[in-house]
Amino acid sequence: MLGLHGISYRYAGYAEPVLHEINLTLADGEIVGVVGANDAGKSTLCLVASGLAPGSIGGGLSGRLTIDGSDMAGRPLHEFSTRVGIAFQNPATQLSGVSGSVFEEVALGPMNLGLPARETVARTRAALTTLGIEDLREREPRHLSGGQAQLVVLASLLAMRPAHLVLDEPTAQLDPEGTRLVGEALRALAATGTGMLITEHKTDLLNRLCSRVVVIDAGRIVLDGPTAAVLADGRMEQWGVEPPSPIRLARALEARGLDPGLVAGALQ
Amino acid sequence: MPVWVILADDLEPADAREIERLVPATPSSYHRLNPLTKAVIAAVGSIGAFVAGGYIGPIVFDLVMLLLAVRAGVLGQLVRASLLLTAPIAISVVLVSVFTRAGTTVLFAIGPFDATAEGVDFAAQTLVRLFAISLSIGLFVMTTHPRAFVFDLERRGASPRVAFVALATIEAVPALVERAAVIGESQRARGLDTEGNLRARLRGLLPLIGPVIIGALTDVEERSLALESRAFSRPGRRHLLWTMRDTRWERLLRWGLMALLGAITLARISGRI
Amino acid sequence: MSWGRFDTRTIVLIPIAIAINIVLGQTVGTALKVPIYLDSIGTILVGILAGPVPGLVTGLLANLIWTYVLPAPFHSDYAAPFAIVAAEIGFVSGVLGQIGWFRGRPNTDPQRLILGAAVVIAVLLGIGYYGFLPFYTDGTFTFFGDTSVAGPFFTAVGYLIAIGIVGATVGLVTLMFVRRDLGVAYVAIGGLLCGILSAIISAPISAVVFGGVTGTGTDFLVAAFQQAGSDLQTAVFQQGLLSDPIDKTIEFFIAFVILQTLSRRFVARFPQGEKAVGLERA
Repeated sequence: MLGLHGISYRYAGYAEPVLHEINLTLADGEIVGVVGANDAGKSTLCLVASGLAPGSIGGGLSGRLTIDGSDMAGRPLHEFSTRVGIAFQNPATQLSGVSGSVFEEVALGPMNLGLPARETVARTRAALTTLGIEDLREREPRHLSGGQAQLVVLASLLAMRPAHLVLDEPTAQLDPEGTRLVGEALRALAATGTGMLITEHKTDLLNRLCSRVVVIDAGRIVLDGPTAAVLADGRMEQWGVEPPSPIRLARALEARGLDPGLVAGALQ
Repeated sequence: MPVWVILADDLEPADAREIERLVPATPSSYHRLNPLTKAVIAAVGSIGAFVAGGYIGPIVFDLVMLLLAVRAGVLGQLVRASLLLTAPIAISVVLVSVFTRAGTTVLFAIGPFDATAEGVDFAAQTLVRLFAISLSIGLFVMTTHPRAFVFDLERRGASPRVAFVALATIEAVPALVERAAVIGESQRARGLDTEGNLRARLRGLLPLIGPVIIGALTDVEERSLALESRAFSRPGRRHLLWTMRDTRWERLLRWGLMALLGAITLARISGRI
Repeated sequence: MSWGRFDTRTIVLIPIAIAINIVLGQTVGTALKVPIYLDSIGTILVGILAGPVPGLVTGLLANLIWTYVLPAPFHSDYAAPFAIVAAEIGFVSGVLGQIGWFRGRPNTDPQRLILGAAVVIAVLLGIGYYGFLPFYTDGTFTFFGDTSVAGPFFTAVGYLIAIGIVGATVGLVTLMFVRRDLGVAYVAIGGLLCGILSAIISAPISAVVFGGVTGTGTDFLVAAFQQAGSDLQTAVFQQGLLSDPIDKTIEFFIAFVILQTLSRRFVARFPQGEKAVGLERA
């Protein structure tokens, strides 16, 4: 269980906080979506939840970040790595750039942990299998497609065996094929019981994956509830979020005086 | 399992086969030497030729490297690369030394430039020395996979961070060139001239340098965050999956070669050669 | 004085910095055949952002990796002997970065700009007249004396250096006033000092290992000085004292401009980033 309790955060060199009084919990195995306009604080939230802010980038944090009940304040970053993994948009910059093969890339994290070789190999294998990319293991990471590379990034995190994953727009820089690959992988991951916090512009993806969605506006949580209810909220556009396509379709039909129930029935 | 590769000793047989496939190919027995042994051969060859000076020492080292290259099956490749890399500097050496070095024995003259016997002698000495350096280092680079070398150094106690820097550089250089090509392409599309004569190329180069460097630097932030998430900053050693074997006779050979280098240095200092 | 720190960000920066050195060094030095090198911008940036020791280590590793690890086509057989010079450049950049010599000083008031300009002019002309001229002109050449006793080559070199120094001074002072940025003066003098130091360290290496040449555009200068009667050591040093200060000043400027272009938030996260760009612009 990952918990943010009354968290405010400001970047180094800035007086004004970017996050205000955030209260958010992520239960084990739960998948929570985070939506909001650009600059609403979604990425900052991801950095705080994974300990990178202030751990790596400095700045001022107030409030408490807890993982499985223990306060994480002042813990070294490598202790976070086995509890919360974080992935970003661009797969190219997340690959280490030192591995000759996908296998070695995924094995890098477990090796950094100082694990015995047998354990490193077992974790690497398991991570590749979970994401269905065993056949990529001898490929050179920098010659993969965007979607494949993002799967390798996810596998590299998985090999750390974190109980939680924080994903900051994991499909934003991918083509439709890559988005589909990663979307499927995320569903496979959800089945493993990993808790996930996902920020996304593509609300269709969240609609299919998440049990809960949180809306952030100007650094504050303005709405937190079950996915269907939050994504159907009438204020979404005003918060800079595009509702998923079934809802937009239903609204468009309604506006033209048609019965959206008919379409919903046909879609089922 | 080939005897010259040491796999981590706690692996299951199936895992061992998997790791084995990651080990770079070693087509000859020279390739299979421990990387440090080859590094010492390269260092003694290049430094030795330089310390010995004159003709005999460097030429002996030249010949030894060529013989080793035959053994490793890379003779053609090595000679080609060595000539190519040394050509610009060799031309400079010849022109600068032969024509502008002061000397008493004038062989012939072109305009105000006298070609002196002293200049020719100096250029020839510099050339045999440069080839000794080039052949020694070229042979090492051609027969040693960077991963094998870096992992061997880490096994001997080098920091995993140094290993990271070395291996990341190998990928960063072509990546930077690729980035420059992409940006150059888009600038050409916008009408900036990057071909043509030197002045045009220089003018094209300047607007290219900025975006290429800035872009590469900006990626540093996300890559370092991603690496933190993979326990990069944990202090302490790692268990490597594979390394190259080291043997007692190779250790002896290394000490022997270093002693040889010491002897050459002493002989040179004491004026015996 | 802090030596600097190797955090993850710095470790990730170093390979990128080395790549910048190698790619620019190879394009500019070897391919374009102009008498400068431009092969240290990455090292300078690491020094400024992370500190003197990370700068030094980057310089060392850059040249060693270039020779011992990097495969063709970027491999160079001859970079390793100059590792010590690269280390010096990284260290000096680190020290100068720490004491704030790479800070932008925009909107400096005119009095301080004029004072800065006076200092720059005094330093450049002083070094030029008392440090450089006698060294290049066998002591017989002076601007105000009888030039007929000096060799024609030295007279020409003397005037060329004079023109160069005056041109550089005018250019720098103009740049300072156009940008209204006193930072230009610091960067220029820093580059000059670093260049002189580099020339002193690299000349013996170049002369002893390579017969004074590098296969790049600087070689014709060595040839010219040797032809004029200097011995090899002196000719190489005379070439270095011309090329290095110009090269390092240009590289320091490029690093300075890059630092100004990068986002403050990005720079401030490096161990020495805040000292390097200054806190006052927060």
